[in-house]
Formats: sequence, structure tokens, C-alpha cells
Amino acid sequence: MSGRLDTIVFAGCAILAVVASALPTQMRDPVASGLRRTIVAPLVGLQTSAERWRAAWQESERRTLQADSIALRLAQGNALIVENERLRRLLGLGSRLAWGFIPAEALHMAGRAEDVMTTLTLTAGSKAGVTQYSPVVAPEGIVGLVQTVDPNMSIAILFSHPDFRVCAMTADGSAFGIVYPHLDVRPGRLAERYLLELRNVAFGDTLRAGTAVFSCGLGGAWPRGVLIGMVIDEVKESESWSRTYILRPSVNPAQVSNVMIMTADRRTQGVGNIWADEAEAVARATAVRRIVTAGDSVTREQAMADAAARRPDSTRRASVGDSLRQVVDSVADSLRQAPRQAPRPTVPPAPVPVPPPVARDTIVRDTIVPDTIRPDTLARRLP
Amino acid sequence: MSWGSAVRTAIVCLILIMLHYTLRPLLGWRASIDFLLIALVFGAVRVRPAGAAVYGFILGIAADSLALGAFGAGALAATIVGYGASYMKAVFFADNLALNGFFLFAGKWLFEFVYVLMERRMQGMEILMHIVVWAPIAAAVTAVAGVVAVTVLRPILEVRTA
Repeated sequence: MSGRLDTIVFAGCAILAVVASALPTQMRDPVASGLRRTIVAPLVGLQTSAERWRAAWQESERRTLQADSIALRLAQGNALIVENERLRRLLGLGSRLAWGFIPAEALHMAGRAEDVMTTLTLTAGSKAGVTQYSPVVAPEGIVGLVQTVDPNMSIAILFSHPDFRVCAMTADGSAFGIVYPHLDVRPGRLAERYLLELRNVAFGDTLRAGTAVFSCGLGGAWPRGVLIGMVIDEVKESESWSRTYILRPSVNPAQVSNVMIMTADRRTQGVGNIWADEAEAVARATAVRRIVTAGDSVTREQAMADAAARRPDSTRRASVGDSLRQVVDSVADSLRQAPRQAPRPTVPPAPVPVPPPVARDTIVRDTIVPDTIRPDTLARRLP
Repeated sequence: MSWGSAVRTAIVCLILIMLHYTLRPLLGWRASIDFLLIALVFGAVRVRPAGAAVYGFILGIAADSLALGAFGAGALAATIVGYGASYMKAVFFADNLALNGFFLFAGKWLFEFVYVLMERRMQGMEILMHIVVWAPIAAAVTAVAGVVAVTVLRPILEVRTA
């Protein structure tokens, strides 16, 4: 019986569902609308909220992506600006050199950040006219020397290579020497790894920091007048017959991306004063940096002087505080001593059984009056 | 079924129905979890087949009210699934998670099959694609979610053994 009832109810529900499905739109909509307004209304509200949350989340994700894209474009824009500037300078060098050079891209070998880069792969080879020992230059100055030449590529040693040497001189030709890589780099001093040494400078020739050093053209490998770097310090030695200076190279090998390889003809003909302007620009930038640094130090010293000038006032205020504290201390002492000075009662107290004598310390520690005289007030109290 | 058991089942079904309208839109999957079907099966196996058919019809028609194009399709599918689940509850709710998962999977697939046929929105390859590809994926996801729900709610649901 119950099984038949189940079947009848099931069939009824199924028929109702089929009828609902077959209803025309004008009859179906009021039913659906009634359901939406009554029993389904809370569920519709929940679904609406959930979809809003999802939309908000998707919007947030979209905006984050947009912000990331903008940041990436900005970073790429900055890199493009730097590269553009470098290429402009390279074009400027090309127009100044006018002839006798082969442009090439410099490919860096991937390595650890702390490794000193000593070689550079160039995308021009013997087919383009590159020969062994061709000088490699950048708009800023000397980069290195071609060591190995293949038809389509070549490998150059950088000025940081242990075998690198170049004859050097100052701009006015008053001092000469040989430039070597600075190999004595202490561990952890990565900033020193690309420095150079100008050795064998005559003892009487003193170079100031910031002096530009150029190639002197002796030896045949380098033409005269290519900027090498700036003097930053002198190496102090106990016994020596010549001077040695530390140079900061004008080229940062890590930032070299495009270079010029000079041909043999150009090397023989020389380069004139092409790099003199570069040296002046570097010297100007160094001077500006020094002025800014000096300005900062003056400001700092001024601030310290102002602070020192304010200090006596605060010291005086502190001494006023000390005298006030003395008054408070003396009042507190008098209050502590007051109960002892109170008059004793006239009625003798009842006899108290005397306990057996016990040897003990009868001095209460907090009854000891502290020394309230301060050293700075002692002189005033003494007659 | 005692009153306490009925109240517990109602609460669990209510939670599952609310999840259907909150968690499901948040997830927004192409083959999403059908918490309504899980609620239907969980409720249907605890009542007589006639009650399960009515329960399925009400759930289905309520869901259909939000999908005007398929009004009645969900009601028929849910009625069939609810009645079938209640009818086969002795087999269906053996205390075995894998078996529970399998019957949830079959229930969801049957639901999708009836729904798509009654809806008459898709045609030809689209129906085949839905029934052969998307419906099994949605059924599998629903079965996994149902198994997780059975595991979590086991103390409340007092699942009967075969």
C-alpha cells in the first residue's frame, strides 16, 4: 500500500514538473516570480552577495595585474632611457671618430655576481675587419683589447684581466706610467674589484685626486688620448723610487653593452682629443658630487653646532630641577624625622615583661638619613 | 526518523543549500560542485520515497525559479534523483565512502542527463559534449565534495550501514 502511495506521489511530482516545463511563458513567469519573492528570496540574496564578492575579487585581481603591468612598463621604460642614452653617446663617439672603427655588441658571460669579469665576447669578427690586439673602446673610454678573433665573433680581455697593460699619461703630459689591473682586492670589497693601478710614475710627479689619465700611445696597441680613468688615491709604500696611484676606470664593465673596435689604421692615426670632453664631463660630475657632499657636511655641522648651543640651556634647566629636588628631599627628611620628635605621653606605660637579651642589629636600615648634599651645591653651602 | 535526527538532517541540508548559493558562485568553476544535489541525496535517503520525491520537486522548482529557460527541468530531474536515492537507500548508503561517492556521481550524472533533455536548450553535439564531458566532470567534483561532506558531517548524520 505504502509502495503504491510512493509511486503515486512520485508520478504526481513528475507530472507537475513536466507540466511546469510545458507551461507557456505568461503562465510560468508569475509562478517563478512568486517563488523568487518568497521562499527563494533569501537564497537569491545570498547568491547576489556571493557574486558581488567574486566580482570584487576579480576586479581586485585585475587591478593588481594592471598595477604590475604598469610597474613593469615603467621599469622597462627606465631601462630603455638608459640604453637610449648609452646608444646616443655611442653614436656621438662614432660621429667624432668618423672612421676606422667597427661597432659591436658586448655579450657578458653569465657568472656569479661576486666574480670579476675579465673577458667580453664581441659580435664582430675577422669578417668585419677585427684583428688581434685591436683596442676596444666605449664612449666613456678604454674597455679592453681583442685577444681572440673568429670569423663572426671575437673575445676581448677587459682592463680587469691580469694580462692587461696600457701606457698612461696625464692630460698635460706631465706624468707617465703604466696602468695595471688592481688585483689586490680584499674579500668582501667588491667595489674595488674593477679599480686600476697607475704604476711607475716618477717620484717627483704628484697627481691630485680627480686627475684624468689617458693612454699615451706608446707600445703600439693603444692610440694616444683614450681616457682610462681618474686618480682617486695614492698607494703608500715605505720604500719606493716611484709612485703608484689607484685609478677609478671611466668604464663600468658590467654596464658595457655596445662598444667600438678600432681598426689598425685608426690606431696608427690616433684619436686626437675625442675623450678630452668626456674627461671634462666626468671631472665636472665629480666636482658637483663633491660640492653636494660638502654642502651636506656643512649642514650637518651646523645642526650639531645648534644642538651644542642649545645644550647649556638644558643643563641650566636640569640644575633648576636639581635644586627643586633638594627642597623636596629636605621636606621628606623632615617628615621622616617628625614622629621621633613627637612628645612622649605623660602617663607611664604599663610594665612590660622584659624578654631575655638577644644580641642583634638594632639599627633599622631605613632610618639612616641619606646624604642629601649634592656635589654641585656643596660649594654654595660652605661659608 | 526521530525528531532529533530530522532536525539535524534539516540543518545539514540547509547548510548545503546555503553553500550552493554562496560558495558555488564564489568558486565560479565551469564544472562546479552541486551542493543542492548533495543536500537532496542526504535528505532523500532519510525519508520515504514519496517524501523524497516531494523534497526533490520543491528543491528543483526553487532552483528553476532562478533559471527561467529551464523551469520544470530541474524539478523533474531532482524528483527522479530524490525518489531513486530513497528507493535504493539500503544499497546507496552503505557505510563506505567510495560507494557514497560513486552514487553521488551517478545521481549527479542522471540529474544532468534529465535536465539537459528537459531543458531543450542544447542540440546535437552540444548535448553530447555536455553529457559525455562536462556532466561527468561536474559529477566527479560533486562526488568528491559529497564524500568530504559525509566525512565531516558523519557524527551528525548518523549514516546507516547496509
